[in-house]
Amino acid sequence: MSAALVERGVWSLLDGVTQREFRVERDGEDFVLTLRGRSMRIRIEDPRGWTATSSGKSNTGLAKVSTPMPGKVVRVLVHVGDLVQASQGLVVVEAMKMQNELKSPIAGIVKQVQALEGATVSANQVLVVVESSAS
Amino acid sequence: MFRKVLVANRGEIAVRVMRALREMKIASVAVYSDVDRNALHVRMADEAIGIGPAPSGESYLRGDKIVAAARSTGAEAIHPGYGFLSENAEFAALCEQEGLVFIGPPASAIQKLGSKTSARELAKKAGTPIPPGTEEALKDASEAKRIANEIGYPVILKAAAGGGGKGMRRVEREEDLEAALRDASSEAERSFRNADVYIEKFIVRPRHIEIQILGDQHGNMIYLGERECSVQRRHQKVIEEAPSPFIVRHPELRAQMGEAAVAAAKAAGYFNAGTVEFLADESGRFYFLEMNTRLQVEHPVTECITGIDLVKWQLRIAAGEPLTIRQEDVSIRGWSMECRLYAEDPDQGYLPSPGLISALSLPGGPGIRIDSGVYEGWTVPFDYDPLLIKLVAWAENRDEVIARLIRALEETHIGGIKTNIEFFLDVLGDAIFQAGEIHTGFLEEWFVRRKKHEFSAAEIDAAKMVATLASTQRKIETVQPHVRSKWKELPLR
Repeated sequence: MSAALVERGVWSLLDGVTQREFRVERDGEDFVLTLRGRSMRIRIEDPRGWTATSSGKSNTGLAKVSTPMPGKVVRVLVHVGDLVQASQGLVVVEAMKMQNELKSPIAGIVKQVQALEGATVSANQVLVVVESSAS
Repeated sequence: MFRKVLVANRGEIAVRVMRALREMKIASVAVYSDVDRNALHVRMADEAIGIGPAPSGESYLRGDKIVAAARSTGAEAIHPGYGFLSENAEFAALCEQEGLVFIGPPASAIQKLGSKTSARELAKKAGTPIPPGTEEALKDASEAKRIANEIGYPVILKAAAGGGGKGMRRVEREEDLEAALRDASSEAERSFRNADVYIEKFIVRPRHIEIQILGDQHGNMIYLGERECSVQRRHQKVIEEAPSPFIVRHPELRAQMGEAAVAAAKAAGYFNAGTVEFLADESGRFYFLEMNTRLQVEHPVTECITGIDLVKWQLRIAAGEPLTIRQEDVSIRGWSMECRLYAEDPDQGYLPSPGLISALSLPGGPGIRIDSGVYEGWTVPFDYDPLLIKLVAWAENRDEVIARLIRALEETHIGGIKTNIEFFLDVLGDAIFQAGEIHTGFLEEWFVRRKKHEFSAAEIDAAKMVATLASTQRKIETVQPHVRSKWKELPLR
């Protein structure tokens, strides 16, 4: 087995005579590896970090709604204190001529709105926090 | 010929036009918005001038600012590219008034072909087939039946004031027509407060086939074969090819459609490059859809199979030169296909994915053409269209061009942002696509049967190993033995 970093972010792996070239990018804790145009996501587990993992939906009944794409906030549809239904629209973000409406994953009360119309936002930025009415 | 031309566009098309200008030894002027100062089209230009803030309404769509930029740099002509001001008759007229040459058709022709209804009327007068039916409201069911029998089933009833599918009914048989007309009419009344309904032939599984035309200011006009753009998502073309697999099976259609396109364009007093779009049904009947009075995104596939540089001809025609290519000089060689590489995230419903391009590897080798508007280290702004790069291949036949595109996509890497490269690998690998059995609903059907790519166990093991190595990269770099160049070991004399 022979591995060589042939260019920045590009690894050539020889397994016997089988050659594979991977492009490696870091995405948070994950590595995204691309082999002939196709990507896979690999996480290198560090046992020390296992207890610290947290997901978007925590047991406190809070839903943090973030924008999956960077762009500009074109409309804020809710205010703090509003009652919202599950899948009700909260904020509209626009990028590249396309508008994307962020919806509430749960029914509840709007606790925080961190979006201003006209503001630029980055990917994965939390814009609205909704507290579950069921909890 | 012009000495200096301003390119009123950005991205790959501005770069494309500037390449033609460079080859013709014409100086180029770029315009840029605040976020595009470092864009590739600015780097390609001889001169560049800022025209305002990022929103296109305050920059690339501001005809007054662009005319002022041409004035202050001494450009004699303006190439509008596609999109932005390219089909804006007022802008073309403004250029004419200001003594600048608009590289495109005359404002009057843009005007005539701009509205769908007037273009349809014009095409009809020129003898170009339009979808059969009525445009006036139907009086009653018996009139509907009479017309439906004339044009043949299936038919579609459409609300005259309509849109968004409201007041629309597809009808397969005569016995269903009366009820469908009642439904469509009452739905139209409820939705638009207008019960008027008209009837049109429903085109089953249509193909989008378009004809490239080129005409000069002296009355010469030719067609440069067809392109098929049936692979569309949300009415956006995704893969385009030339020739059309359908026309190759019905070769008599090429001249018929070509002559119909030329007739429609001539009726509008058209010159420069343009495209007449048609829908073709399974039996080979074709209908005028609309005319695009500009250079198209997919123009490279026509350039590849005809060997004719459309942008250079646009410049020559705009400068008043006669077209020296006759219809009989146009021949089609091989097959060409284009993939539009977009900054979009397939895992998030194809949402735009602007951002920093952290790595970029582009393919090369035989038959590959790259029309790119990006470079490594540049941040794709979120203000504009997500088109990054057009990957175009040419080969001797369709099978080879598909294999070549797959090979080129496998060589392509765009890091830091999400793109639709894997989507293309999947579509190009589809057996029905490979058989050329495409229509405008192709992708919708394909998404349902799409199979997720599976890596082999050996590939996954190899990837895990590389990820592990990459995670400890620094350590490895220091462990690697230092390799000395033999040159340095040569004794100095």
